[in-house]
Amino acid sequence: MLQKIYDWVDERVDITPLWRDIADHEVPEHVNPAHHFSAFVYCFGGLTFFTIVIQILSGMFLTMYYVPDIINAHASVYYLQNEIAHGQIVRGMHHWGASVAIVMLFLHTLRVFFTGSYKKPRELNWVVGVLLFFVVLALGLTGYLLPWDMKALFATKVTLQIAESVPVIGGIAKTLLAGGEIVGASTLARFFAIHVFFLPAALFGLLGAHFLMIRKQGVSGPL
Amino acid sequence: MAQNGSKVTRRQFLTYTLTGVGGFMAATLISPMVNFAIEPVLKKTGAGDKVKVMSLDDITTEPQRVDFKKQTQDAWYEFEETLSAWVYKTDSGEIIALSPICTHLGCQVAFAGDPTRPQEFFCPCHLGRYEKDGTNIPGTPPTAPLAR
Amino acid sequence: MHRGKGMKFVTDSRVGISNRKQNIAKDYSEYPGRTEAFWPNFLLKEWMVGSVFLIGFIALTIVEAPPLQNIADPTNTSYIPLPDWYFLFLYQLLKYQFAAGDWILLGTVIIPGLAFTALLVAPWLDQGLERRPAKRPVAISFMLLGILSVFYLTWESVQTTHWDQVHAQGELQIPGEGPEIDTAAPGYEIYSAQSCVNCHGQNLEGGAAAPALVGTQYTAEEIAEIAVNGVGTMPAGQWDGSDEDLQAMSEFIASYGEGGENNK
Repeated sequence: MLQKIYDWVDERVDITPLWRDIADHEVPEHVNPAHHFSAFVYCFGGLTFFTIVIQILSGMFLTMYYVPDIINAHASVYYLQNEIAHGQIVRGMHHWGASVAIVMLFLHTLRVFFTGSYKKPRELNWVVGVLLFFVVLALGLTGYLLPWDMKALFATKVTLQIAESVPVIGGIAKTLLAGGEIVGASTLARFFAIHVFFLPAALFGLLGAHFLMIRKQGVSGPL
Repeated sequence: MAQNGSKVTRRQFLTYTLTGVGGFMAATLISPMVNFAIEPVLKKTGAGDKVKVMSLDDITTEPQRVDFKKQTQDAWYEFEETLSAWVYKTDSGEIIALSPICTHLGCQVAFAGDPTRPQEFFCPCHLGRYEKDGTNIPGTPPTAPLAR
Repeated sequence: MHRGKGMKFVTDSRVGISNRKQNIAKDYSEYPGRTEAFWPNFLLKEWMVGSVFLIGFIALTIVEAPPLQNIADPTNTSYIPLPDWYFLFLYQLLKYQFAAGDWILLGTVIIPGLAFTALLVAPWLDQGLERRPAKRPVAISFMLLGILSVFYLTWESVQTTHWDQVHAQGELQIPGEGPEIDTAAPGYEIYSAQSCVNCHGQNLEGGAAAPALVGTQYTAEEIAEIAVNGVGTMPAGQWDGSDEDLQAMSEFIASYGEGGENNK
C-alpha cells in the first residue's frame, strides 16, 4: 500500500533522487565515532541542530499560551509554567535549551576552527556559520525579555544603553529596538516579533545554506 | 549484501533500528508538548459555585430577572462576570432558576417578552417560545428546554 | 538525464518516462576503507548519541524549573541588572577602566566589533593551506587568546557578582501567598519610622541590599541585637529609639519569621 502511494508520487514528481542523494552519501571513517572515539567532536554540529529543533518545537507550543503584553506576559508565563500539564518541562526545554544551544554552538565552532575546516573551499560556509552564531545570540537576547520579569526588563535596559553608545546611529538604533523612548509595551511587542518571526526566518535561510554547502562540499578530510 | 537464508538484510535491520530510535526521540520530545497543548481538553471543569442571588422572601410565583456577579477565572484573567437568571417559585413551593440563554442560538429570552403570551418565555431573535417551566414549545426554533 | 529533443515525458511534466532512478541503495561493499552510508548506518549512530543527549536534557527540565522573577517594575531603582550567562563576558568587559567612561566606545563597539569581525573573516586572515593546529601557530594562538579572555571575563564576572543578592532580588512573590503584613501594628510603625524600611522593604520582602525579613530564622532577641549592632553588610548604629520600641518591633518582625504566629 505504502509502496503504491510512493510509486504514484514518484512517477509524477520523481522524488527518488532527492532523498537517495541524502541517504546514500558516504560518511568518511574519520568523522565516525565508531571507528575513532575522538571523532565525537564531529557530533557537536548535529547536536546543535537537534537543540535548535527542540527550541523551534517548544517555542511553537509556548506561543499557544504566551501573550506579548506588559500586563499579561508575566501572568501568562506563570500560568503556563505552573497551571498547565508539563508546563515546566516545555518552558524548561526552551529556557535551558537556549543555554545548551549556545554551548553546543561554541563547541562546534571550536571544532571547525581547530581542524582548520574553514579553509578553501569552505570559506563561505564558515561565514554563514558565524552569521548563524550571531542569529542564535540575538535570539537569546530577545528571548530574555519576553517573560517580562525584573531581570528581563533591567537587562534589556542595559542592552539598549549599549546600543545607544554606538556613534552616529546609536540613538536611532536604540529607538528602533525599543520602539519608543522607554523599554515598555512596544519594546516587548517588537522583541516578540523579532524573536518569533524575523530571526527564525533568518535562521532557516542560513541553516538551509549551511546544509546545502555541506552536501555540496562534503566533510573536510582527515588531518 | 543479503545473505542466503536470512530474511532480513543488514541494511533493513539498521533501518528498522534507526526508525525505532528516531521514534523514541520524537515521542520523548513531542509527548510533553502535546500534553501541554491539549490540557484544555483534559482539564476537568469544576462544579459551579453557588452564589447568593436574592433572598428567599423576594421570590414570587412570577418569574423575575435577577442579575448577579460571579468571580470567574479565565486562564490568567480573573474578573467578575455579570450573569442573570429568571427566578420564581412554583405553586408547590419549589424554587426554579432558569438560564436566560436561548437554547437555539444563544439570545436572551424574556418572560412575557411577547405581550400576547404572558405565561411564556419568549426569545426575540427567532421567535422561540418556552413554557413557564422552561420546556421548549414544539414548532418553535429551540430544540431543548432552558437550562436550570 | 537527457535534455532537449527526443525526451519523452510523463504526460506534460518534465519527469522522464523511462529513465526514472531506481530506488536501490548504493552498495558500499565495493568501496575500500570504512566509509559508510549516511542512511541508515551513520544516522543510527548519530541518533543514538542524540537519544542519550535527549534523556539527559529532559531530566534537566524535570529537575530544574526555569526561573521566573517578579513582574517587571520599572520604578524599582535598586535592582542590579544581570544578563544571561553567555553575555557575562561582555558585561564584565564594560566594568574595566579602559572600556568605560571616556573609553566606553572601546568596550561597547571596538573590542567586540574587532573580535567578531575577525571571527567572521577568519578564512581570509588564515589563508595557508595547512590545516593541522600545530602548523598554524598564529591563528591558533589568537583563537586561544580569544577563548581564554572570554573564559577569564566570565569567571571574573561570576566571582564579583553577589549571587545571593542577585537571587534574592526580584524573587517571585505570588500575590495571596506569603503573609499579609499588618501595617497598622505599632511594631510596623516603628519599623517604617526607623530606617529599616528603606532596605528591607514595605512588606518586609527584602531587596538588593538586604534579605527578606519574612521567614527569618532569628528570634526576637536576636533581631533586637542585630537592629542595634548590625550583621553582615548591615552597619551598626542604625537603631535610634527607646528599648520598649526596640522590643515591640523585634517581636513584630519575629512574628513573621520562621514559625512565627503571623507567618502563614
